[in-house]
This record gives sequence, C-alpha cells and structure tokens, in this order.
Amino acid sequence: MSSGARLYGRIQWRRNDGLGGLFVVLALFAFVYVILFPGILGLNAASKFVQGWFPTALVAAAETIVMLTGGIDLSVGAMVSLGSVVAASTMQGPLGLFGGVLATLALGGVVGAAVGAFVAIGRYPAIIVTLAFSFVLRGVALLLMPRPGGFVPASLSDFLAGVYPTTAALLVLLVVLWKLFQATPLGAGLIAVGDNAEGAYRSGVNVAAARLSAYVASGALQACAGLYMAAQTGSGDPLIGEPMTLAAISAAVLGGVGFLGGQGAMRGALAGSLLMSILINVMFFLRLPLVAQYIMQGLIIVVTIALPSVRAAFRRMR
Amino acid sequence: MTAPHAVLAARNVSKAFFGNPVLRDVSIELLPGRIHALLGENGAGKSTLINLLSGALAPDRGEILVGGQPIAGLTPREAHRRGVAVVQQELSLAAHLSIAENIGLGSYARRGGLIDFGRLAASVETIGAKLGLIESPDTPVGQLPLGRRQIVEIAKALYIKPRVLILDEPTSSLAAPDVAMLMRLVRELRDEGVAILYISHRLNEILDFCEHVTVLKDGAVSADRPLAGLDPDGLVRLMVGRDPQNLFPPYVSHAGGDIVLQARGFRTSAAHDVDFELRHGEILGIGGLVGHGQEDFMMGLYGAVPAAADEFRVSTLGRQARDAPFSKVAEAAAAGVAYVPADRRKEGLLLPHTIDFNLLLPLFARHPGERRRRAQETSITERLARRFGLKGDRGRAAQALSGGNQQKVALAKWLPLEPAVLLLNDPTRGVDVETKREIYAALQEMAAEGKAVVLLSTDTPELVHLCERVMVFHNGRVAAVLRHGQATEEAIVAAAVGVRKAPESEAT
Repeated sequence: MSSGARLYGRIQWRRNDGLGGLFVVLALFAFVYVILFPGILGLNAASKFVQGWFPTALVAAAETIVMLTGGIDLSVGAMVSLGSVVAASTMQGPLGLFGGVLATLALGGVVGAAVGAFVAIGRYPAIIVTLAFSFVLRGVALLLMPRPGGFVPASLSDFLAGVYPTTAALLVLLVVLWKLFQATPLGAGLIAVGDNAEGAYRSGVNVAAARLSAYVASGALQACAGLYMAAQTGSGDPLIGEPMTLAAISAAVLGGVGFLGGQGAMRGALAGSLLMSILINVMFFLRLPLVAQYIMQGLIIVVTIALPSVRAAFRRMR
Repeated sequence: MTAPHAVLAARNVSKAFFGNPVLRDVSIELLPGRIHALLGENGAGKSTLINLLSGALAPDRGEILVGGQPIAGLTPREAHRRGVAVVQQELSLAAHLSIAENIGLGSYARRGGLIDFGRLAASVETIGAKLGLIESPDTPVGQLPLGRRQIVEIAKALYIKPRVLILDEPTSSLAAPDVAMLMRLVRELRDEGVAILYISHRLNEILDFCEHVTVLKDGAVSADRPLAGLDPDGLVRLMVGRDPQNLFPPYVSHAGGDIVLQARGFRTSAAHDVDFELRHGEILGIGGLVGHGQEDFMMGLYGAVPAAADEFRVSTLGRQARDAPFSKVAEAAAAGVAYVPADRRKEGLLLPHTIDFNLLLPLFARHPGERRRRAQETSITERLARRFGLKGDRGRAAQALSGGNQQKVALAKWLPLEPAVLLLNDPTRGVDVETKREIYAALQEMAAEGKAVVLLSTDTPELVHLCERVMVFHNGRVAAVLRHGQATEEAIVAAAVGVRKAPESEAT
C-alpha cells in the first residue's frame, strides 16, 4: 500500500471517533431483529429489507452532504416526490428508459444548482431558501401529476426492486463515490467550508464552488430516491416523498452530523437511517401500533443527541 | 515610491468599515531576506493591513503590489498562488479535518483529480520535522490543544513554500520551546530570502530579531524605520505618541468615599490573584492587551463566569452586602452591580424593540409581575434621554440609532436601578468622537453622584485621562496599578506588553 493510500485510510478511520455508541446501539438492534426474525438472513428477505431502507439512506446521504457545509435542506421530501413524478412520466415517452433516468437525475442536479446558487452565491440562509423551494417543488409535482399515476417499465422495477441485490450494490457504489469525492480538493474543501468558512476562504478554498457542488450532489441523490420509489411502486406519486425531509434530517442528526457544519460523517448518517429502518421493522414485527414508531423514533433521537453532553457532564463531575 | 525589489507592498491604501476609517494612506514594503515588524496598539489597523496584503479584503483606495506588480482584486487564492502565506491569529483551520488535510487545504498537490496523499504525507513529514509536529498527521485538528493548532497553522503557511510570510502574533499561544523553535525557523527562512512580516506585542521578541519596523497609529503610519538604535521604551513611544485633542473633560477626582468593593486573591479561569479595592465615586481603569484576563476579571466580578477569592467584600448602600464573589448575575444585579457589555448589538440591546423599551428593561427585571404605569415610565425615559442627549422619537426601534447612540442607551438603561457599581466593557469601541465626549462626561457625572465605575478600555488615552487608578493586566495578572498622573500612555502600554521599566543607563 502506498504512503498516500495509508494516510487517507487512517484519516478516514479517525472519522469513526464519536460514532462508537451509535454503532453499538445499531448492532444491538440488528441482533434483536435477527433473533425476532431469523428469516432476514436469507438473500431474498435481506434484499427486501435493504430495498425498504434504500430511499431513506439516499436522502440521509443527501442531507448529510448539505449539512456538512453548514447548510440544511428542507426540500428533500418535495424533491423526492418530484423525482418520482418525473421518472414515471418521462419513461413512457420518447425519452425511453435511459432518457427518463437521465432526465430525472439532471432535474435533481439542476434544482440543486438553483438552491445552491441562492445559498452559495446569494448568501441567503439555506433554511429559508430550501423551505421556499419545498413549496415550489411540491406545487410543480402536483401540477405535473395531480394524482398518483404514470408508469415505470417493469424491467426497471425488477432490476431495482426485484429479487436481485441491486440496491446493496448501489449503496456500495454510493460509499465508494463519496470516499473518492472526499479525496478530492473539492471534497476536503466542502468540510472545511462548513467548519470554518472564513478560514477556508483565506486558505484559498473556493467557498462558493464547494457549497454549490454540495447542493448539486444532494439534489441528484434526492432525485435518485424519487426514481427508486417510483420503480418500487411502478408509478409516480406527487406526495410520496412527504415524510422524507424529517427522516433525512433525523438520520443525519442521529448519525452525529452537526447543524453547524463540518462535523460528522456519511457513515454516521447511513447508520442512523439503518437504525431507524430496523426500528420500524422491529416494531412492525412486535405488532405495535404504527404511530408508536414516531414516539420511539423521537425518543431515540433525543437520547442519542443528549448522550455525549451527559457523558461529558459525568466526566466533569469526577 | 516602491523599490523594485519589494516582493509584497501596499501603496497608499485606505480602508473604512461602515464609514469608520480604519486605515488611511498606509504604505509598507516587504523586502526579501528581511524580518519586518508591524507594531501598533489594539485597533490601530494591523489586522486590516494584513487582510489587505493577503487579499482577504480589498482596499478602498491604493494598491497592493506583488513582485512589484499592482494586482487589482487580489484574493487569498491568488495571493497563495503568488507565494504570500499568512499565519492567522484567528486560526484558519477546520477542526474536523486531519492535520494533513488542513496543512494542504487550498493548495493540494493533485494526481488524476484526487489529492495526492502520497506527496501530502511526504510534505507534512518534512515540515513537521522542522516544526516539531510529532502528532500523527491523521489526527483531527480539533483534538489538539490551542498551542499545537498554532503549529499546524504555521505548517500550513510553510506548505506553499512562501516568498512572503506574514505572522500575526504567532507566539501568543505557544509554549516557550516552540517560540525558540519558531524564531530559529523564521531566521532560516529569512536567510533563504523569504520576506517576513512579524506582528507581535512582545517587544523584546521584536527587538531580538526584526530589522525594520512599521508602526501604525490610529490607522496611519507613524514610523517606518530600521530598528537599530531603538529600545523597548523607544518602541512604546512610537506606538503611543499622539495629541488627545481636548477629547477629555478636565480631570476631577470624586474618590474618597467609602470602599464599596474589596477583594484579595480574586481569580477566574483567566485572571489570577487580583487584589483591589474600589471606592464610591472612583473611576477605576482596566487596561492591557486584548485577551490578557481583564475581560474575564470583569465577568467574574458580576458572576457571569465562575470566580473565587480569598477575601471579597461588597458593601452597597452603606451595608455589608456579602462576602463571597457573586455566583450568579442576578445576585450581582440585586447587590447593585451593573454590567454594560462591549458588544451592544448582541448583548447590550434588543435592537428590534423601541428605545423606550430598551431603557426600561432592567426596571422590568427588577419589578416582575408589577403593573406598568405609563406616566411613570415616560418620566423615567424622558429624564434618561435628556441626560444622555438622546434626540428624536423614542418609539423607534433601537437599531435606528447610530452605534454611539446605541451605546448611550445601553449605558443609560442601568441608571434607574441606581447601581452602586457600574462595570463598563469598552464603552466607546467603534463610537464617533462626539459621542465619546458625551460618554466621558456621563461617566464623570456618575462618579460625582458617588457611583463606582470600573472602566475596561482598549483605548489607552481614556485610561490616562478619566481614571483615578489604572490596573494593567498582563498574562492574567495585574502587572501594574498606576495612579492618575503616573498612568501615562507609555507606562500603561509598557506594563501591558510586559516591559519592566529599564534602568535609565540602558536607554539610548
């Protein structure tokens, strides 16, 4: 292994600092899940589980990228809905399957670029820009497709949400791409900008470019999630993404991604979203009422967030 | 004129913030192989000049020349590319990135679009060896103590192989061996032909190894000369020489009343072993360079940060109030100790609310749950407005006022509580001359009424002209207590930078 690869490997390894608690909790819940439902270990059931988790993982990743720059994205849900609508309405037209996929991704990137331009160049607060965009995108989705409809070719549905472990492979691809991005000057700059924007600027980092790239990547990922959900159901739905905004933020927060920027790692957000996915499944298996999962989710977030400061307080007292 | 061989120069640059001139017609030239000192009091414009030289700010007028060539619209990125490196006092590091990533940030060597971590590792090792940076390069910078972060910041500047190195108080948070190491390194760089600009408040350091000095005074160059033939006192004289321009009211002493506050061995996390007493009618000045414990001392006095003391007495209204430092701000307020913060926008006022509301706020806190009486309120606010010369409609939002008038409101609002002790943190920071004069008059009036005033100021002449006594902080301790008359600007600055008065024979 070259000295460079070794250094990068160690840098990435150090990013696990502070995530140990989350990983332990995650392992615990996974263990409980396997005990309750040993069938999950089969290839088929495991694929189904990963498919259920996949869209949340995508939006958690999308939210993390933006939060690392010190921003936030409240338009995730609306973008996912719009992605599903556009995917389901382009693939039956002249664009065809691949054209539809490309169109959906491009839309996500363009919307991300527009949001990013307001935030990075116009310097408006991300929370307000994305809130406004959430209304616009929701409106556009409903105009394009007032009620669920459209059509996604069965071949795509089978490929993405069928019996193959495609989603697992896609997740691996996502992680690999993120690792590569983190190894670029722009990727390192993205975290530096979130951490200390003034310092990054003085160091010669192109602050606007770093922020803009984050929103573009995030928008494309959100559109992917919409496309995937359309493939799962075989049609588009202008409201399907609604719960995704909060799911994305909760997963990121649970994964140790800070609101102030620069802090956290993608693996934390992915672990956070996985934990919530397992939780929902476990509660379903235990036949707890569906609404109880909200209470449980909320409690887990509060406890996870409070844990580090409680631990620090204990350490001070000793 | 700029000599052709200056690697970095500013020519007649001026810069103003919100109409406040910070730099006026300043020129400076950095020559290769020369260590150039930049000196000046707090607020003299040093940081702004560095920001102009490094491209972080653009001058309003004048030019920045790199390699003798005027560069319009210089950015930090461009400055880096041309070999201008700055070791910032406000560190430019990202806490969650590793040491290696921080060192290369903004100037990474690339291979196929990716950061060339192999070359980065090699550079970090070479530079790290020079600087004694023993921590593993994968360590997140946030896990390092402040002094070590400073070393990373220096490593980051060296990484771009600078032709010009600007060091902004690089030794303020370094341990002694690291200071010696840095000195050695800077000399080495000078011998290699790097131009160095060195900003420090440690005059001995400057005399030790700089060759040329530029002194800034109120935003203008007051001296630009070789250091040869100067001693610490000479440097101090260059920093302060100025005419107070009748800004201050004639000095009158109102002290001589009873002791209102007395402490022995008073300490907070940043201030140690402070002995002092404060009398009714006295204006006690607190001086020193920013960050030497004086702010912490003030905050400790009114219970905003934890404080302890061997002995602590507060006697307000003729009775013994308590005998331990306040542990809460509310306790201090109840005992008649009021604090006026320096940052009036964030801490002193509720800007979106009316001037009247702001003036009455401390009263509301004192009488919670009481019905408001409009007529009484109006008479109070009217009296305050008259006393402080607040003109116009007081129903306006406080943000409609100028900075100076906001400061007057922040000060005035405490008077209805009849505080026995007023702690003022730099009340004239960023305030225009006319308002300064009014605030000075108000301070004297309060002292005349028998209130005890503690005036922390970064503006040394205020301490000289207004205060009965001045306590000067250095490294968290009281370096000197100077009586009015003794407390000249030279004496205060000398104590603040830790210069013991040199024996006369050593002066030139």
